[in-house]
Parts: sequence; structure tokens; C-alpha cells
Amino acid sequence: MTHTRPLFRLVLAAALCVALAVPAGLTLATRAEAAAPLTIDIYGPGQSKLKVALAQPLYGPDANATAPVEAVDLQKHLVHNLDYLPFIERIAGGTILGGDRLDAFSGPDVDFRRFQLADADLLVTTGWFPAKEAGSWTVELRVFQAFTGKLLVGKAYYDITGPQIPRLADKFCAAFMEKLTGHGEFFLATLAFSKRLGPRDKERNIWTVGATGRDLTQVTDLKGLSMSPSWSNDGRYIIFTHLGARYHSLGVWDRATRQTHQIKFPGNTIIGPTFTPENKVAVSLASRGNPDIYLLNHIFRKEQVLVQNWAIDVSPSFSHDGTRMAFTSSRLGNPHIFLKDFTTGEEKRVTFNGNYNTDPDLSPDGTLVAFARRTSEGHRIFVMDLKSGRERQVTFGPGNDEQPAFAPDGYFLAFTSNRSGKYELYLTTRHGDTPKEVPTGPGEANFPAWGMVPGQ
Amino acid sequence: MNAMKWLRLAVFLTLCMTVAFGCAKKQVETAPMEQPAAAQQAPAAEQPAAAQSGSDLASSELTQKLNQAKAEITGGRIFFDFDKFDLKPEARDVLKAKAALLKQFGDIRVLIEGHCDERGTQEYNLALGERRARASYEFLVLLGVPASQLEMVSYGEEYPLDPGHDEAAWAKNRRDEFKIIK
Repeated sequence: MTHTRPLFRLVLAAALCVALAVPAGLTLATRAEAAAPLTIDIYGPGQSKLKVALAQPLYGPDANATAPVEAVDLQKHLVHNLDYLPFIERIAGGTILGGDRLDAFSGPDVDFRRFQLADADLLVTTGWFPAKEAGSWTVELRVFQAFTGKLLVGKAYYDITGPQIPRLADKFCAAFMEKLTGHGEFFLATLAFSKRLGPRDKERNIWTVGATGRDLTQVTDLKGLSMSPSWSNDGRYIIFTHLGARYHSLGVWDRATRQTHQIKFPGNTIIGPTFTPENKVAVSLASRGNPDIYLLNHIFRKEQVLVQNWAIDVSPSFSHDGTRMAFTSSRLGNPHIFLKDFTTGEEKRVTFNGNYNTDPDLSPDGTLVAFARRTSEGHRIFVMDLKSGRERQVTFGPGNDEQPAFAPDGYFLAFTSNRSGKYELYLTTRHGDTPKEVPTGPGEANFPAWGMVPGQ
Repeated sequence: MNAMKWLRLAVFLTLCMTVAFGCAKKQVETAPMEQPAAAQQAPAAEQPAAAQSGSDLASSELTQKLNQAKAEITGGRIFFDFDKFDLKPEARDVLKAKAALLKQFGDIRVLIEGHCDERGTQEYNLALGERRARASYEFLVLLGVPASQLEMVSYGEEYPLDPGHDEAAWAKNRRDEFKIIK
């Protein structure tokens, strides 16, 4: 029963108090629970699961009529999306006594009892209405709390046609996730990545894809190797390293013009460019004889040295407020993760286990750093709490797991792994939930980088 | 007028030959003491050929020597230990031979490529490849090769010499390669 779920922490606390004080407390607890908002803490320990049932889509004007074919497509996309949420457990329609086809998709006529009996926490209903223009539809999507019948999310989408269905599913799932967790960016974010594809597999170009595999798009078409993409904060530019026949260059792809520009630097070494929160660029250049980290201004000229050392300093990653930067440095012999605090200027080592820690990525709030550690079994992703210094392994192979990247919500982590035999993109969470692949088609995929593109 | 034309042509050809042989000799004279046997023999072979049969034969032999030098420069790779970029003694010997040839043939320009095995991560390996290429670059410059003859680039782990996934393959892939810049 739902009243025993730890996710209702506040409710449970209240219920426990009541249960301790009053022998008949269970009834009161149930009432209190019914009135409580249903949320889930994706950042805290002991993350639990919500059981969700999807009712069959209904044709709005006549529930006995068959819903349009687009409804089936939307249902598939909703199922696909929800399966990316580790805190959601879908209830198969066939396991619901009385079936998952309802007589109504809203109001008091919805039969919640069958879903309560199936132990569902949430029920999703869909109603389809023909729009004025032939072939387009108005779609109403609702999420109810199954136990109380309370409406949690209600969205209507107008003039929907077949090609818009995937985007509709993303928007609805973003609203759904935001209601439950406070963050819905995941379904609206776009991953840029490097894909090895082309003659004799000698070329890498930059591609983009939705976090759940939608809208796979090639954005650069350059000979040579394009890698380490990073989105600008406004979602307009992607910068990347390009390795040509003789030269490295800083690639700049402009979403507005769909054009790519390449910029060379003295020293001919350009590694791991990344946009800062101020939309400037931090990058490792070897202008002075070894890779140091520089800050470039808005026209890609050197503005400031961020890290200068005799050793290798690469892979800068910034907290959202720009006060902290994680990076890899070999100044102590082996590569380790370091943290620079811009308020004090202090650079300190943060990894002390293992002897090969690289690919750092700071969480947006700057409290966690994810990184890849080389172990006897291959590279694995670890997440360290920078305040306590405690670290937790969140991926377990097989093969190599590298290049972790925190999503804008600070919950999901994208990474690349060759566990299938070739490098592909996967998603896990800061808690180390079971990795799920991001479909990117043929060719090896590396260097996932999250971005929020306007209008998506 | 015809006589004048022939005279001018003869003077011009003489000047051309003087310049061509003069240049070849100048390259020879700058060769270091430490040249390997093949490089040391080059000037001796050039001079008789030039004296014997004029510009065609001399040019042909010079081209042959140049091509041989290019083959020797590009042929010898140097190798590194895991996560290291210091030059081993055998690598220094290979570089000394290359330095001799580069100083002898001043028109040859070389791209030094730094490579890594697949066991590291890609961005760090790009930096490590840079350090490996730079190690060769700085050693060659130390030996007297003009920096203008050298360029370097890191390809990290992107272009393995051996696609295998064992120590034998990795050892081959941790390397510097030397390519002629055309």
C-alpha cells in the first residue's frame, strides 16, 4: 500500500506521530496522506519508485470510438520516455484487473479503483479531439494521484499532427517530471556528442540528440576528428576541438547560421574547450610549451591564464555560479582531479584514491564532481561530494566508462562506455541507477555534452 | 646578335650550375660530426656525379639522396612507456640520426605526431601526445635542427598503429611518428 512508501516522508512522519499517539492512527494517516502533495526527492538517499499506469488513449467525443493512430504513437513515446526515469515503475496494462481501457479520461467518471487495486500511485489518461483543421488534433493529457483521484498535471496541446508527437511527449514528460521532482529539464535538453563515422572510420563529427534518443542530427561535416563539444549557455553555439591533418583548431558551430568556423592557436594544441557560465571559453592550449588552461574572451582571444603549471592541465568544468572549476592535472606525477576556487585563487587536489583520475565534471551547484577512474577492470565513473570528500562509484562496466557529464538538473549523468563492444552514450544518475543507452545510430559516440536549446 | 645570344645562354647555364652545386655543397658542409654512416657518405657521392655528367645526373642523384633521407626520417618511430613522455636511450639514438639528416637537408620539413595507447582517456591523451611530440621536438632543436623545419601535432589515442587490445599493441601505439611536410 502506498501509505508505507518512504517517499511520503513528511506524511509518514506525521503518520508515525499519530500512530504512536493514537491506536487508530492508521485511518488518520491515510487521510493525511491523501491530502499530501505527491513529490519525490531525486537528490536524497533512499530514492524510491512510483508505480505509474497509462490508461489507453480515448477519443474525446465518444469514449467508445477508437482513438486515432497518432494516439498509439504518442502512447509509445510516453512509455519510451518514462522508462528513462529510474524512479518510475510502469504497471503493464494487462496486469490491471478490469483492464486499462477506461470509460472516461477526466472528471469523476474515471474509475480509479482498478488502479488502486493494482497498487498504482499515478494514472495517466489521454483524450483526443479533432481540431478544426483536418488531420490535426487537440490532445489532453492528465496525471492523477490514483489513491485520491487528485489531478497532479493537466495539459492540453492544440493543432497536433503526427510529426509533432515526439516533441509533445517530451513536453508533457518534462511537465510531469517537474511536478514530481522540481526539475523537468531532462526531456527538453539536447546532447551534443562526437560520432566516429565516415571513410574508414577516420572521421569524427559533432552530432546532437535528445536525451531519450530523439532528433538525431549531424551538425558538422569536417574531415578529421571533431571532439569535446560544449554548448553555449544560450544554446546557440557548440565549440569543439578539431584535429586536422597538421593542425588542431577550435571549432565553433553556430546554430543560427549552421556554419562552422575554425580558429588556430600558437602551439597547435587545443584540448577540451568548454563554455563558462559567462559564455566565455576555457580551453587548454600549449602556447607556452605544455597544456595550460586559458580563458578566451568573446572573440576567442586569450584573456586570462586560469591554470598554469609545468604539467598537463586539461578538461576544465565549471559550477553554474562560476566560482569553482574542476580540472585534471598531472602536476603530482599521475593525473588527478583538482579544484580551483576563484574566490580564493586556491587550487587543491581532490582525488586521493587510484592513480589515474580524469574527465572531471562539476554538478551545476558545484557540490559534486564526477570523474573517470582507471581501475584494474577499466575506467569507471565515480561521484565525489566535495564537502565531505566521500566518493561513490556509480558505473560498473564492463569495458570502460568515461566522460561523465551532469545534466542541467544535476541528477542525470551522461557518459560514454564501450560495454557493448563499441563506445556509445548512456545515462545513469548521481545515485548510480542502472545505465540506459541513448540511441545514436551506427558509429561510435563519445563526449556527451548537455545543452538547453531554445524552443525544444 | 646570334653570337651574343649564345654567349648569354652559356653564361646563364654556368651560373645555374654554380648555384646548384654550390647549394648542395653548402648543405654538406653544415653536416654535424655525429652523422650516421649513410649520411656521411652522401657528399662524397654527390661531388663526383656532379663533376662527371652535368645537371641532369646531379639532380637525379640529389633527388635520390633526398628521398632516401626522407625515408629514413619517416621510417624510424620512437616509443614511450605508459603515461610517460621522457625519451628512452634508444629513442635518443633514433632522433640523433634524424637530426643529422634534417641538418643535412635543410629543405625537409617534418611533422612530429604524438600518439598514445587506448588505455587513457581521450582529452588527457591529447595532452600526453602533445608532450611526447614536444619531447622529440625539443631534443631535435637541442641537436641543432632549426625549429623552422619542425612542426608537431598530437593525435592522442585516435590513430593507433596496431588495433589490438593487448600490451604488445599498446606498446606500438605509444609513439612519435615523423611525417614529411609537403
